[in-house]
Amino acid sequence: MGIRILFIFIIFFSANILARPISYSGGSTAMIFSNNLNNSIYYHFSPTYKYSLGLEAIKDKYFEDSYSYFRFTYLINRKNTQSSQRNLYFQSGINPNDFESMFYGIHGDWETRRIFLGFNVKRIENKNQNYSDNSFKVGFAPYLGDYGDIHTWMMLKTKKNSITNQYSTYPFLRFFKGNTLFEFGYNNKTNWDVHLVHRI
Amino acid sequence: MKNLLVTICYLFLLFSSKNSFSNEEHTSHDSHSHETHNHEVFADGSKIKLNSQRFNNFIKDSFQLQIAIINVKGMVCEFCARGIEKTFFKDPNVKKIDVDLSSGKVLIAYKLGVKINFNEIRDNILSNGLEATSMEIVEI
Repeated sequence: MGIRILFIFIIFFSANILARPISYSGGSTAMIFSNNLNNSIYYHFSPTYKYSLGLEAIKDKYFEDSYSYFRFTYLINRKNTQSSQRNLYFQSGINPNDFESMFYGIHGDWETRRIFLGFNVKRIENKNQNYSDNSFKVGFAPYLGDYGDIHTWMMLKTKKNSITNQYSTYPFLRFFKGNTLFEFGYNNKTNWDVHLVHRI
Repeated sequence: MKNLLVTICYLFLLFSSKNSFSNEEHTSHDSHSHETHNHEVFADGSKIKLNSQRFNNFIKDSFQLQIAIINVKGMVCEFCARGIEKTFFKDPNVKKIDVDLSSGKVLIAYKLGVKINFNEIRDNILSNGLEATSMEIVEI
């Protein structure tokens, strides 16, 4: 019962859905991300499909600060079926200039070619303030693109962080073609969420 | 104003999605027509679900090849399947690759005479975080 409640809590009170936080073995990925709290550039390399190591440079808009993280992401569990994939990741980062500045959390998703569900629960600790940043996304693909086509996802994102302590829910669009993914959403309270990912 | 733009963008995609749904239905109907069966029968009598039209396009203008048709679990999005191409093209014996997301199949064309090892293929698929469950080989 307790696990069920925890699961429901995670699903509904969860942050930035990082599309594919781990690449294929030997692959690397570059990301640019911007929302109401941060702008960031992130590059990671995946020695195996189980984990990735990366470096993220962040401009913290809320606390007007700049710092970086060494990041480690680990695939805790993946379930492949003929028509779906489910993933659960552990994500973490530590500031090389200040070991007390870090973040950690869980990121999960389940998707078929038509439906997507994803969540992100993240705890950020630094010299300014400790806070959590959580989000949940649900989406569907309005058409099924073939390999090489532009793929489109229409999503709804809900996010909340413990600094503002307010929910914001807004539409989110995801497009990808080949090795490049672009997604964005807009809310009048929290403005733009923009995310560009390129697999190398 | 920005909200309005986002709403218009959504409405545009909704309408374009209706067209895509109709196209999809049409394609689906075609694939069940007498001209395009979704099953390929091999010499040993086994069957593998495959879009014949797609297979024919893949082998068009190709000779002296063997095609490994691999069933892959978890291949639900192109973004996660992209690594498959990169992984297999490292092998100089691989001539062509096709990823069929709709049926969950990967088609790999090898030079004739090359020994195709399913365990190696399974490991390469696994290095992309996906799961190869079976393989059929066709010589052309």
